Amino acid sequence: MKNHTMSVLFASDAENHLNDLTIHRTTASLPFGGRYRLIDFALSNLVNANVTTIGIITRNNYNSLMDHIRMGRDWDLNRKNSGITVFPPFVFNSAHEVYKGKIEALYTLRGFMMDNNEEYVIIANTNIAFNIDFEAVEQFHISKGADITVLTYNTDDTNPRKIIVSKDKNCRITDLRYPVASDAGKQLCNLNIYFIKKDLLISLVDNAYAHGAYDFEKDILQKKLGELYIMSYEVKDYVAVIDRIPTYFKRSMDLLDPAVREELFYKHSTILTKVKDSVPTKYKEGADVHNSIIADGCVIDGTVENSILFRSVKVGKGAVIRNSIIMENSIVMDGAELDYTITDKDVIIQSGRKLSGYESYPMVVVKGKVI
Amino acid sequence: MSKNSKKECIAMLLAGGQGTRLGVLTAKVAKPAVPFGAKYRIIDFPLSNSINSGIDTIGVLTQYRPFELHQYIGNGQPWDLDRLSGGIYVLPPYMGAQSGEWYKGTANAIYQNIDFIDNYDPDYVVILSGDHIYKMDYHDMLEDHKRNGADCTIAVRDVPIEEASRFGILNLKRNSRQIEEFEEKPKNPRSTKASMGIYIFTWTKLRQYLIDDENDKTSENDFGKNIIPKMLKEGQRLFAYQFDGYWKDVGTISSLWEANMDILVGNELNLDDDKWKIYARNNAEPPQFITPTGKVSNCLISEGTVVKGTVRNSIISHSVTIGENAYVEASIIMPGAVIEDGADVRYSIIGWDAVVGKNALVGETLDKCRPGEWKISVIGPGYKLPEDAVVGANEMLG
Repeated sequence: MKNHTMSVLFASDAENHLNDLTIHRTTASLPFGGRYRLIDFALSNLVNANVTTIGIITRNNYNSLMDHIRMGRDWDLNRKNSGITVFPPFVFNSAHEVYKGKIEALYTLRGFMMDNNEEYVIIANTNIAFNIDFEAVEQFHISKGADITVLTYNTDDTNPRKIIVSKDKNCRITDLRYPVASDAGKQLCNLNIYFIKKDLLISLVDNAYAHGAYDFEKDILQKKLGELYIMSYEVKDYVAVIDRIPTYFKRSMDLLDPAVREELFYKHSTILTKVKDSVPTKYKEGADVHNSIIADGCVIDGTVENSILFRSVKVGKGAVIRNSIIMENSIVMDGAELDYTITDKDVIIQSGRKLSGYESYPMVVVKGKVI
Repeated sequence: MSKNSKKECIAMLLAGGQGTRLGVLTAKVAKPAVPFGAKYRIIDFPLSNSINSGIDTIGVLTQYRPFELHQYIGNGQPWDLDRLSGGIYVLPPYMGAQSGEWYKGTANAIYQNIDFIDNYDPDYVVILSGDHIYKMDYHDMLEDHKRNGADCTIAVRDVPIEEASRFGILNLKRNSRQIEEFEEKPKNPRSTKASMGIYIFTWTKLRQYLIDDENDKTSENDFGKNIIPKMLKEGQRLFAYQFDGYWKDVGTISSLWEANMDILVGNELNLDDDKWKIYARNNAEPPQFITPTGKVSNCLISEGTVVKGTVRNSIISHSVTIGENAYVEASIIMPGAVIEDGADVRYSIIGWDAVVGKNALVGETLDKCRPGEWKISVIGPGYKLPEDAVVGANEMLG
């Protein structure tokens, strides 16, 4: 389709509690699935739908994000017209303060949105691994005559900050609320991805900003439910929302299910990411690998089970890795044992060390540590 | 008209060869485009060597089945060769106002592109071929060329004397590396210094020899047969540049298989080298997946591949599927191939996008053979081998 839609992505979200994993990076640049960063999924879905004008709003620690995106070439976004733009926090902000909420952030991007000719905007958080068809979202938006389309999904993830959506039979949203103690089982929840006409967005943001409001969900969506046609587009595809360390762990392990792998990596879009020219992975004589996802560049001489190894991980002789996520360039030396552990990038686990967490609370080793 | 900045040294890569000895593997693509080492193609080696040696202008001479190669090279971005000045250029034969013809020989291919080379006004030209696997610093060879005040420098390596009659052999002057004589495949070799087909020429010299060679109607327009002997005869300064690193001509099925296996054994051919990366055009594929039933030992495996069966001592390229209860030993599985459930593949090369049907048997376990004499079975690219089929050692289908 001709690109009449642009996108604004939020690299970080104050609602996420990824603690040790986001000390050095934005949520958008959190490594996921062996070779990706979370933002790869949003970018790939957008590019696949020919949405090629993309602004990314950052809040803090955006160095890793800039390094990942560079000129956007790996997503075919280094274009003469359109392409990718990363906005540091203070770019249009004379107050020299980091924005308080999405409304403030969007207000600072007024110029960027107005300078481009697209008619619609997709606003999205980047803590989501998904593979959806944005063209179908656009068709839904237009055929329903929606003012705002809110993407929703069914989930039983328990997070006190998630927003539960109620809708009528025409998919119009009737209520948005935080969960209460009596909520149980699967609920239709806000995915934090919105499809909206650009002019409407700008006027809503202008008006909210002028009244000192900053929470997009509370001060715009909730308040305008009666006045505007705010519709729910339910995403039926596999969706992984990463907001805390246990969900990061659980959603990562979902990838070991071939059906999830098929949906997430192949369904609508090819998931693109930064090319690193890693060599293929070498399995040595001592390798004993089962039910695991392994990126290129690894050298494996030990046991790996139910785990995810990112690029260029070294597993020594007799080392045992079970139910763990080992990020790029980490080294697990001879005889070390890991169970329910997430090691960030560049971690070294020395010979004979044993680390173990629990499924509900995996142990996290911070970037660059030697244990 | 077009204004190009001067380059001290540019490379010309001869990539037009058909590679008939690779049989079904080169039925539809030129030899340099043949996959190698799970994620590379043969041409990635000279291209990566060039950029790692600081040469950023490369002309690639294509002729036989060039489409795949042109598409693979694209704008040269994977090798960092998308440049404002210089970069990579694909040079197929073309029509001129007076005449147009195919490249008649290696020297003629360069002759037909004299204008391209003149455009960069280079002092030196490196001539490379697209059928060898090796890591070599051409800059070091160029320094040698300059130190010797040479007109031509030829990279050489020592081969066993009993094999020397298969190569172009250089006889050197006593206590010197200056070349006295060049013999193409001599019956009674007097030296073990074999030419690797890598030359550096001082451009003004080569330019004149190419023009003279073209005017000589008896010439075969070949570097080894015509240009080099003539330069020696006329007393030009030709020197040998000794190279002792890993080098393999992958012109036959056996040698292609051996070179792939060399990645698995020892450190002879080390691809995992941050100081000398080999670049390749990448497909966006998810990481490889070893399922609960998968078993892998002593293998090289790349992205997008799913292993449900057992693989040993093999090169498994990207986007391959190995089915349940399938067994793969000492084989090269090229990109996109599918080994269905229960199939048994040994000492074989399975071409890209080929399918080995359920319970099919391909190849046999071989005892140690002499180099170049391995009886490797080959399934051609895209070939669909039916269920329960049996393919013996040394057979080729496709």
